[in-house]
Amino acid sequence: MDRRIPLRKEIEYLSPEGLRLDGRLPSELRQISAQIGAVPNADGSAVFEMGNTKVIAAVYGPRKVQNWGQQINDQALVRCEYSVANFSTGDRVRRPKGDRRSTEISLVIRQTMEACIMTHQMPRTQIDIYVQVLQADGGTRSACINAATLALAAAGIPMKDLVTSCGAGYLNGTPLLDLNYVEDSAGGPDVILGILPTLNRVTLLQADSKLTMDAFESVMQLVTEGCMAVADYIRSVLREHTKQLELRRGV
Amino acid sequence: MKELQVPLNQTQKIRLQTALQKLQDLSSKVDHSIVAVADTISVNHDDGFLKGHGTTELDGEVVATVCGVVERVNKLVYVRALKPRYQAERDGYWLGVIADGAVIYVTWTRIVPERWKVEINFSQDAVLMLSSMNMPDGIQAEVRDTFQHDGTLHLQARSRKYGKLEKGQLLTVSPYLVKRSKQHFHHLEEFGIDLILGSNGYIWIGEHVEARDNQENPSNQQNGTSNKRSVNLAVPEKTYTALEKRQQICRIANAIRVLSSLGFNMTKEIIMVIVNMSITLNVEIHEMLGAEFYVRVAEKEVERRSSLKMGRG
Amino acid sequence: MVGLSTGEKHFIKGGIDQDLRSDGRRRLTYRPISVETGVIPQANGSARLRMGETDVIATVKAEIGKPSHLHPNRGKVSISVDCSAIASPVFEGRGGEELSTELSVALQRCLLGGKSGAGAGIDLLSLNVMEGKICWDLYIEGLVINADGNLLDALGALSNTGIPKVNVAAEFSAEEQPEVDISDEDFLRFDTSSVPVVITLTKVGKHYIVDATLEEESHMSSAISVSINSRGQICGLTKRGGAGVDPSVVLDIISVAKHVSEHFIMKLDSEISAAEADEAGS
Repeated sequence: MDRRIPLRKEIEYLSPEGLRLDGRLPSELRQISAQIGAVPNADGSAVFEMGNTKVIAAVYGPRKVQNWGQQINDQALVRCEYSVANFSTGDRVRRPKGDRRSTEISLVIRQTMEACIMTHQMPRTQIDIYVQVLQADGGTRSACINAATLALAAAGIPMKDLVTSCGAGYLNGTPLLDLNYVEDSAGGPDVILGILPTLNRVTLLQADSKLTMDAFESVMQLVTEGCMAVADYIRSVLREHTKQLELRRGV
Repeated sequence: MKELQVPLNQTQKIRLQTALQKLQDLSSKVDHSIVAVADTISVNHDDGFLKGHGTTELDGEVVATVCGVVERVNKLVYVRALKPRYQAERDGYWLGVIADGAVIYVTWTRIVPERWKVEINFSQDAVLMLSSMNMPDGIQAEVRDTFQHDGTLHLQARSRKYGKLEKGQLLTVSPYLVKRSKQHFHHLEEFGIDLILGSNGYIWIGEHVEARDNQENPSNQQNGTSNKRSVNLAVPEKTYTALEKRQQICRIANAIRVLSSLGFNMTKEIIMVIVNMSITLNVEIHEMLGAEFYVRVAEKEVERRSSLKMGRG
Repeated sequence: MVGLSTGEKHFIKGGIDQDLRSDGRRRLTYRPISVETGVIPQANGSARLRMGETDVIATVKAEIGKPSHLHPNRGKVSISVDCSAIASPVFEGRGGEELSTELSVALQRCLLGGKSGAGAGIDLLSLNVMEGKICWDLYIEGLVINADGNLLDALGALSNTGIPKVNVAAEFSAEEQPEVDISDEDFLRFDTSSVPVVITLTKVGKHYIVDATLEEESHMSSAISVSINSRGQICGLTKRGGAGVDPSVVLDIISVAKHVSEHFIMKLDSEISAAEADEAGS
């Protein structure tokens, strides 16, 4: 995770054999792993890792609206705060809370999660989603959304569907799934997608850099498959967790 | 299931693994009824069905909105969520029990002489209006009417069987670990301790308090005079719980803490088995939260469940 | 956050008075401690410590820097603590700032000593590489994951854990640092025996307790944090909380803290070596 990367032109992001710098195939996700329940104080929490990116999400609520003026009479108030640990990246930077980047990501996560929470079932309450990045190695946005989905489900908050997210890029003429930091900083396009896998809806779509229509289509295809793969994994984690709870409870 | 907080050594890890595996083998298969969010629940469309908690309809199919276990009662289909412990701010002036077996925190302010605004930290923090209640001695109140339209509940005090809860400690566990039953109040006579397994996952362990219904005129219960309610709210009794009783309270509390962190169902009987085990093994109270006892409790549960199964089979 | 009912508060106070706390501990007993090392791979040293339900992560990063003019033969250490909102909604936004600052400053005082850093718990001389030119800059950073009382002690213990694990890979090319040849991987070694731990004694009623939970801390009238190293030397003191303390009690507290620290250091050392063995094994 050294950020002093040689000039972009010197790097071939795909080997002649078609493997990426970390040995993955272009359409391969990094190792993903999720674990429910890392924060005992929270109503629901989860750790989500994608390769070396690692985030914790904690959900508090539904609870009484803390700031009376924000109360909504026919639905729940959903709030989100994203923060990055100072030690999360290779170089040590002091990150003040609430800089523009975190504010934007907080907003993105809030809107994405709000779209799937059944807010009308919990009027006059507040749901807080906090996401903390412990290690940043590309794809933090996606990892945060996936962690938040798990934490919300673990908190027992009713949702229409899960939200899962994944990113993809386009380097050396090839669409690449789930970019790590080095690939992300290569300057190519970075497409981030969030979907409701069962309802088959796109809830989040962000892309930067130039990309031809055709290339975009192939990237979109790839990233959708990535989101689906993440969804399958998250579902299996949730089922296994629920099963364990039920088994342990006995009765 | 909370993440393991106790440091286990290698042998303890293996013992715990074995115990948990055995528990898994002992349970009947539950796989087919476990659902995650957005999973489809199969229903018989011809027979007609009712959608209950944790379900919604999508393109004519019933879909789960929470993770849990699918339950079917006649035509009703619902998802029993394994809700984590509710972490509402524990805040309030006094603790009390309401009629459906939940332990609640109560804070009240007088608005006008005959009306009190009572706030409780219960479920989604409903605001309760009390028209009449035996305050401050008894928080025993009963949910009479549920006003869905504005979300407020009206409580009405009836009997004062339990009185307010003092001289003891409150624990919070995941509500699904406490089996809902009519009997949530237990008087452990051998210890002189009250154990209330609140249906909201709030568990009270405190010194036994004799019901004091007879001290008051029953006719007063519905409309106690207002000056009676304003009996000094602030002065708690300055006597501490006797050491021996405190030891028992703490022992029971730690038994519950261990059961909760292992995610085991708790009833009075199971709690007492663990308490007695700790006494037989001569485990100090604070060591009940240590690694060795944690593993022992898991092993004990295997024993208990397998003997239950033997009994049935 | 914790606003218990009067009955519960009374019960907790009574327990401390009778030397039997709500979870069965005595006044000077700690909750179970567990340590995990190497949790943040991009740091030079990192550890996660759990003390009951209190859960903190600390990392150490080492960078090559330039010593200040005033102290050309000393390295620099900076300590900062961040209370993550995941630990509690009250830490949201700027909510955690006050506590974060209080903890950071208290830790600095306990571990780094005064301006000159002469008597500091961490020996700054050992961070010197080439006098006046090159030294090590250490950045110790703490993150609170779950707060259930006694954060300062937990963080102090962690700084203790993280530092011995600092392992700087020799990745600085000759170009960047022409004056030194850092080839040895284990170049950066510290004398860890003198890194102090922090022991906080919280006053509740007439008595002092160690390792207070959040519920117990809500009763705190005052607390004294003593930083002590394994040689029994006091490295720093911080009194927190508003209520005054009898001067004679202060000496009492320090001697109690010293006594407690011996057990604590022993316990911590065994946990750290267990964690390191674990890490090496996996």
